[in-house]
Amino acid sequence: MENKRGIQGPSIEFDNVNLTLGNTHILQDINFTIRTGEIHCLVGANGGGKTSLIRSMLGQMPHTGNITINWHDNTTVGYVPQTLEFDKTLPVTVIDFMGMTCQRRPVFFGIERSRREQIDEVLERVGLGGKSKTKLGSLSGGERQRVLFAQALIPKPALLVLDEPMTGLDLEGREILERSIVAFTRAGGTAIWINHDIAQVHNIAQTLTYIDRKVLLEGDPRQVLTSGIAAQLFPSLDLLSAATAEVPG
Amino acid sequence: MGALYEVLRQFIIGLADQGIIHYTFSYTFVANGFLCALVIGPLLGGIGTMVVIKRMAFFSQAIGNAALTGVAIGVIVGESYTAPYFSMFSFCILFALFLNFSKNRTKMSSDTLIGVFLSISLAIGATTLLWVSARVNTHILDTVMFGSILTVNDTDMSVLLATAVITALVALPLYNQMLLASLNPSLAHVRGINVHLLEYVFVLLVTILTVACVKIVGAVLVEALLLIPAAAARNLNRTIRGFVTWSIIFSTASCLFGIYAPMRWDLPLPSGGAIILTAAMIFLATMIIRMALPRYREASV
Repeated sequence: MENKRGIQGPSIEFDNVNLTLGNTHILQDINFTIRTGEIHCLVGANGGGKTSLIRSMLGQMPHTGNITINWHDNTTVGYVPQTLEFDKTLPVTVIDFMGMTCQRRPVFFGIERSRREQIDEVLERVGLGGKSKTKLGSLSGGERQRVLFAQALIPKPALLVLDEPMTGLDLEGREILERSIVAFTRAGGTAIWINHDIAQVHNIAQTLTYIDRKVLLEGDPRQVLTSGIAAQLFPSLDLLSAATAEVPG
Repeated sequence: MGALYEVLRQFIIGLADQGIIHYTFSYTFVANGFLCALVIGPLLGGIGTMVVIKRMAFFSQAIGNAALTGVAIGVIVGESYTAPYFSMFSFCILFALFLNFSKNRTKMSSDTLIGVFLSISLAIGATTLLWVSARVNTHILDTVMFGSILTVNDTDMSVLLATAVITALVALPLYNQMLLASLNPSLAHVRGINVHLLEYVFVLLVTILTVACVKIVGAVLVEALLLIPAAAARNLNRTIRGFVTWSIIFSTASCLFGIYAPMRWDLPLPSGGAIILTAAMIFLATMIIRMALPRYREASV
């Protein structure tokens, strides 16, 4: 059953998660919890294991330890991958791509009527209403990111998993995605988000975890980002400007 | 099924007798070839789109070469050398499963691994088949490589039809999932798609399809029909619907014209060769259109 706010996202517990691939320890004793209805940002240097942690959570990595997702009624995950690696000359339009992610009828037979409205609505929401018939390979990187975000909204998810969705996005795209993610969690959904923009994390995330193979920092960004260790981890961070930036709608 | 084939054959023969189509179609073997083309064209044209998207163009060739060994085994175990379907299906399915298993385990790129398996299968197939051919005193190698669409019988047609039905029943409901899995396996997995299982399913489909067509059109032609019409359709289309539709049209037209043209105009061409040449002409035409029209212009680098 959905709560008064519309969605009831899960809470997630990472309990002693370890991941070793070959001789490389990717993740070591990861422990933290994500509460229902919050934006939880994963931050840290490249190669620190953030994507591996998310992929472990999604069941795509041979990790040890427990990752428990405490679902309510809706168990839908909306996943926004980092990029869409594909041959850009492929004859696949935006609407073809949206159709293949959410309907059973082969897309070459057309889009199901029941899905058409949903697809139009989410494309409109990410500012791509007029581009449904554009070839996916002809879109800019930022526009493709918006399409990836749009597909994650059908069917209505309870958990959003975002792997650097802002990569390549212009200002307008960033604002649209940011607004959508904030609105999603305010409605009760849970979002786990790999994010390199510390000012953004400071402004909109309820919790953050800094991962560099291990958890180095964890908690409310407004508190932990002012700690001494944060100054070491983010030497170039202008915390003052981050703190005074506005929280989006 | 024999009665159904007979009705269809008589219909084609009737058209020939009335002079609507060329008189050579009044021969049963030509009518059989025509019926096979009507099944093979849409089947290979449709599946070919996925083969092109998944970049598995040479996979069917590797399977076609494996069919050589399958035929040799069939002759050794006592099957008819003109239709050793049991051995061909068994060996080719095992070969395909092993190839896909190796790809998953070694994480090598598809083209490298398929290339290795293609060479191995050709070497083993040609060696065993030449050895077996000497014992039965016939040229099986040519038949497997280039087929003989004009010598098909009711058994061949039944095998083809059963394969077409299985392929359609399995591939149509899974088409979107296969497409998404080839674009982004991670996203497909989150969407509840068993990416590895789907890969095996697709590999098996292409395998049974190739084996069912080998006797009729030959290993070389199967690969050509999986690849060329889809590549031609890709040249001109921006949507999946256009891509699949035109691939099926090009493939079916190539098959029908490739059988019809040599008889109609007494051309010294085998039907297999004529089918490939027709498909190749279509491909060249689409390529010229793509290069000439500004609407297809894209970044050069």
